[in-house]
Amino acid sequence: MVSFCPPRSSVFITEFNRMNLPLVILTPFIGAALTAWAARFGARRTAWVAGGMTLLALIILAPTLTAPFKGEVIIQRWSWIPQAGVDLAFRFDGLALLFTTMILGIGLLVILYARYYLSDDAQNPKPGMGRFYAYLLLFMGSMLGVVLSENLIVLLIFWEMTSLSSFLLISYSYQGKEARQGARMALTVTGLGGLALLGGFMLLGKMAGSYELSVILAQGDVIRADPLYTPMLVLILIGAFTKSAQFPFHFWLPRAMAAPTPVSAYLHSATLVKAGIFLLARLFPVLSGTPEWSWLVIGAGLSTLLIGAWFALFKHDLKGLLAYSTISHLGLITLLFGLATPLAAVAGLFHIINHATFKASLFMAAGIIDHECGTRDMRRINGLWKFMPYTATLAMVAAASMAGVPLFNGFLSKEMFFAETTDFFSDRPWGWMLPTLVALAGVLAVAYSLRFIHDVFFNGDPINLPKTPHEPPFWMKVPAEILVGICVLVGMFPAMTVAWPLKVAATSVLQAPPPRFDLAIWHGFNLPLLMSLIALFGGLLVYSARKPLFRQANRLEGVLDAGAYYDSIVRTVAGFATALTNALDRGSLQRLMVVFVVSVIAMGLAGALGSGSPLTGPRALLAADAVSVFIALALIVVTLATLILHHRRLTALVVVGALGLLVALIFVKFSAPDLALTQLSVEVVTIVLLLLALYFLPQRSPRESSRPRRIRDTVLALLAGGSAGALTWAMLTRPHESISSFFLENSVPGGGGTNVVNVILVDFRGYDTLGEISVLALAGLGIYAMLKDLELTGLARDARGRAWNWDAHPSIMAALTRLLLPLALLVSVFIFLRGHNQPGGGFIAGLITAVALIMQYLTNGVAWTHQRMSDNMHPLIGAGLLIATVTGLVSILLGYPFLTSTFTHIHWPVVGDFELASAMAFDLGVFLVVVGATLLILIHLGLMHDASHPDPKLQQEPR
Amino acid sequence: MHFDAANLIPILPEITLLITASLVLMVDLYLKEHEKGLNHTLTLIGIAIAIVLTGAVGGGEPQVFFDGNLIRDDISDLLKGAILIVSLLAFVYVRAWLQDRGMLVGEFYVLGLFAILGMLIMVSANSFLPLYLGLELQALSLYALVAFDRDSKKGAEAAMKYFVLGALGSGMLLYGVSMIYGATGSIEFAPVAQAVAEQGMSNKVLVFGIAFLVIGIGFKFGAVPFHMWVPDIYEGAPTPSVLILGSAPKIAAFALAIRMLVDGLGSLHPDWHQMLVILAVLSMGLGNLVAIAQSNIKRMLAYSTISHVGFIFLGLLAGSEQGYASAMFYSIVYAVMAAGAFGILLILSREGFDAERLEDLKGLNDRDAWYAAMMALVMFSMAGVPPTVGFMAKLLVLEAVVRVDMVWLALVAVFFSIIGAFYYLRVVKFIYFDKPADDAPLLVTTGGVRVAMSINGLVLLALGVFPAALLTLCQDAFA
Repeated sequence: MVSFCPPRSSVFITEFNRMNLPLVILTPFIGAALTAWAARFGARRTAWVAGGMTLLALIILAPTLTAPFKGEVIIQRWSWIPQAGVDLAFRFDGLALLFTTMILGIGLLVILYARYYLSDDAQNPKPGMGRFYAYLLLFMGSMLGVVLSENLIVLLIFWEMTSLSSFLLISYSYQGKEARQGARMALTVTGLGGLALLGGFMLLGKMAGSYELSVILAQGDVIRADPLYTPMLVLILIGAFTKSAQFPFHFWLPRAMAAPTPVSAYLHSATLVKAGIFLLARLFPVLSGTPEWSWLVIGAGLSTLLIGAWFALFKHDLKGLLAYSTISHLGLITLLFGLATPLAAVAGLFHIINHATFKASLFMAAGIIDHECGTRDMRRINGLWKFMPYTATLAMVAAASMAGVPLFNGFLSKEMFFAETTDFFSDRPWGWMLPTLVALAGVLAVAYSLRFIHDVFFNGDPINLPKTPHEPPFWMKVPAEILVGICVLVGMFPAMTVAWPLKVAATSVLQAPPPRFDLAIWHGFNLPLLMSLIALFGGLLVYSARKPLFRQANRLEGVLDAGAYYDSIVRTVAGFATALTNALDRGSLQRLMVVFVVSVIAMGLAGALGSGSPLTGPRALLAADAVSVFIALALIVVTLATLILHHRRLTALVVVGALGLLVALIFVKFSAPDLALTQLSVEVVTIVLLLLALYFLPQRSPRESSRPRRIRDTVLALLAGGSAGALTWAMLTRPHESISSFFLENSVPGGGGTNVVNVILVDFRGYDTLGEISVLALAGLGIYAMLKDLELTGLARDARGRAWNWDAHPSIMAALTRLLLPLALLVSVFIFLRGHNQPGGGFIAGLITAVALIMQYLTNGVAWTHQRMSDNMHPLIGAGLLIATVTGLVSILLGYPFLTSTFTHIHWPVVGDFELASAMAFDLGVFLVVVGATLLILIHLGLMHDASHPDPKLQQEPR
Repeated sequence: MHFDAANLIPILPEITLLITASLVLMVDLYLKEHEKGLNHTLTLIGIAIAIVLTGAVGGGEPQVFFDGNLIRDDISDLLKGAILIVSLLAFVYVRAWLQDRGMLVGEFYVLGLFAILGMLIMVSANSFLPLYLGLELQALSLYALVAFDRDSKKGAEAAMKYFVLGALGSGMLLYGVSMIYGATGSIEFAPVAQAVAEQGMSNKVLVFGIAFLVIGIGFKFGAVPFHMWVPDIYEGAPTPSVLILGSAPKIAAFALAIRMLVDGLGSLHPDWHQMLVILAVLSMGLGNLVAIAQSNIKRMLAYSTISHVGFIFLGLLAGSEQGYASAMFYSIVYAVMAAGAFGILLILSREGFDAERLEDLKGLNDRDAWYAAMMALVMFSMAGVPPTVGFMAKLLVLEAVVRVDMVWLALVAVFFSIIGAFYYLRVVKFIYFDKPADDAPLLVTTGGVRVAMSINGLVLLALGVFPAALLTLCQDAFA
């Protein structure tokens, strides 16, 4: 699945018919799992496994190693998420070569070093070694992924994984508070940077039309001219700067030194922190060369260079010194890339190599010292030369290289650096500033290197060391020896060692043939050499005058601490979040409703104002007749009265009853007598229901809302009501094709009835009705189940302390109501029978029957009624449902869809022509269910009262 | 209106669930206290059968049936499958919790099944009516589930709030539907889409209709400013109910949005797009910011939900096929993550103890390293850390937004996810860096729960490394 990518840049891109690049990345990941497993066989074997896997990765990489030297770029590609334009594509060119060899080579040395550093003796290995090597290999794999990615998104994924795995490594000894805090800060800062990078990459991908580096690198001019160039640049730089600990994001690196020293040597000098710089180098042809780039990158690099060097001088912790010097050197490299000249880029690459070698060896030396002395405090470690001359020599060579002493590699790249800075601004009036500041940084660098050498290895005798130091085991020195050897070799014979790889790497950074550069030790007497000399002697001077400087630094401590700003930002955000929570999240339902209603009104308003169309539709308005106006006014008055009177519950109930009547009137006005009838009967049942409930409540409800709240609620209610009114207005003033004509036309031919409402109920929407009566039946049964055998004590006295009337069932009323019963039932039958053609129907008839029966309960008492009528309503409900369902099923038996109705006209002597519709049977079912369920509910609501079960004393009283 | 039995084939999954629910309802009556586990088994079997049936009847050309009320297409196949699978996980997790509290009763399962049934109906809807019916079936079941622990005052309060606000939200939605009907004369999506395309935004009623639909959708998703119910309900409801309520319904809500806004009102994208932008930005901002301040993990997850909803909206508002597909991907992934997070909370709870505070996660690593790793995966995924699928989901959504030239929105989203990463990592810190409370016992779970949680956690990783398969499904659904 390797595909060929057409050459777009000046560099020849070749297809490589293997898949070794992903394997190189995958090997450490597999190794991570293996080491975690191998940990059970002891720390030493774990280390061998880890080392073996690293070697394996190198071997897998080997066949491709020569390709960049031939000017080839290897791209290996697998389809991954084609939908998002993301392929698993890997790229191997000069830059990748430089970094992969560094990652794997130094990785191997660090593993060797850690093997001796971390396990004190082989007999009782430390627990958790498997975890350590697994994390280390995880990191190695992620880092390889970063440098080998061809696709930006893939790069980003590995980028974030380096953040995660370095988090794991820093927090390796998570019992320590420092390690935890350092790890969290590192993850937060680099993780956030990674997200910013994601934003930047997305913009870059949009501009270039692809996430592939080979496409992007060829489009530098297009991208630099894009209006979104600046935001994109800023985002990508934030990503790079956080990773490479550039000012103002540098603060996490010193705190990350809580990690074990091999980790610091590997991550915080050679690899992880170089990822940001790698990114600058990778995207150099695309991003560099604009004023924005220069200002941002030079600014960050220069400040980092100076701040790092300054703090490094004053750290008493050995690793602290190295950490800040690392920051300073990273600033140096960043500054070089910021200059954006081809030669500066070459110098930057060169310094990446040099810094990796001398700083890793310095960290290893620091680790040895820590290991042997039990402390890293330079105020206590003195005069180690006597104890470990060999280690001291190694450390001193590396430190000299760091200071930029001739004959060591650091000198060469520093010379190039000085040369580039003097050239860069030479034509500007303030051009001397940059070389001056850079020279100052050089002075400081020499000073802290001197301090490292002199304080640790000379300067009297050690003070109060926990153990007596001596030379470490042989294999612990080997990695440092190799690195120092490289420092010296490169420093002495640059042209024979690094010139070629450097040229290859520069080619891929510049995407063009690199400029001629001369890696000689002696260039003649020129300005850069003068600066080097100034740095050396200035450094000596500063170091000799360090005592007053230290006092000064003590006074300034904490003033320029970016970590404190970080903490305060974190605190501010958390405080803001708490305040926001307290303001918005109170948990009060009323408040939630207010927010809801206001939002709804706001969105509705926004929608209304946003669209151009008018509120009033094109439909011609009808004239308002007197009756409608009267009803509307009455409705408003009654509603207001309900609002005002709602504290007096009984009165309010009466008014609500009036409201129901008015609504019934409206139905009459709009020629819907059927609905009016239904409304009336429902109204009666509802009032009975409410009365039954009112029995348990005090006569007056208390006033609970304060005045401001009531005002707020009034305003809200007016707004919401007004909006609903406006909506209705908008709706009604527009032409609208109603479906009612369909029913009017089809009622007689289809359903055989002239009462459209009833035909709809039993025929057109027969299914719905069947469903509804089922629900009604269920509701009745449910309420029955809940209320059965429940008795509650109501209030015995009213608000003024008067007892209820003992005469629960006045005789006159009882007698009259008994008389009414047959009449009511007759009406009910009448209404039921005419239902299909005239206003009426099973539902209304059922309600009327139910109301008539309920009246008997109310006036005669439960006991009296139950002597005459069964209190078991279940058969009634069951029968109703059964009849309704059977009606439907019969039509299926006859070959029609469920609930199809039919009708016929029968001539009945005496009575006359008589229509019989199958729907009537269905209506009977409806009738029975309504009667049964309504009674069931109301009876049991009533039985709940103790008034329904008067105590014997009350019953015996004379009537 | 002739009935055709062929109509029943595509809704076999729904029918299966209905039968299962009815079966559990009836069987439960005859079960003794110690046999209640059968409810659980029956439910799992029913859902498993429904999953198989979804696969069996799915695929192929879209079918419209029941007189245009229901539809079966690639969208419905995928979403149904996702809902059922997430629900299956959820039901596996809840059992121990219910059993410890003597609440392993049929009602829980019946309500849960009906909620899922409602979701499936929403997914299958081809007209506003079944969509609304499904929504209400789901909502009513969920109201009851929130109040399931009847002795809990907090639960009752939460249910009350949920019901009142939910009724308002549904009311708004229905209001919107009625106005759309008024403006277009239809409730089926295709005719509505046609009518809308003809008249555009010239009709004010249509404008109001869309506004109300968006409000309703925003409410069901829990987007700011209609999010108020989310934290209270998440905190107050029993955790199993939150698990069911917080996972699969997000997928259903996505279906709600897609069916209404895209199928029905697709041509009005420029108009609803603006409203969604506001909701999305507010949700991401408020959700992420307020989540930082929470000490109750259920509440924190509630706000995290809100912020994730913002991301889902990003995909929706992009208005491109790619955007819809990425929003779909995000919704499904989110449901899986939420199931995992609440599943862990259930695992952490024991008789007489509910894991609710962030501190309750302290030292999870010492108590059970595997569950700790799974929870860490869930948290990393929610934070959007590669190589978990959460990163992919965010990436795809952002991609979609950038492609339609809304770069600023993508940057805002990135900014807020930076803030969001913060509180998820805090959970990870609690899990790994802190010591467990002294009285915290080792975690005891059944093998089934362990397997389910392992699948749940690892799938987040697997989907992150191999997202193409699911993404292709999502994209084909909209192609």
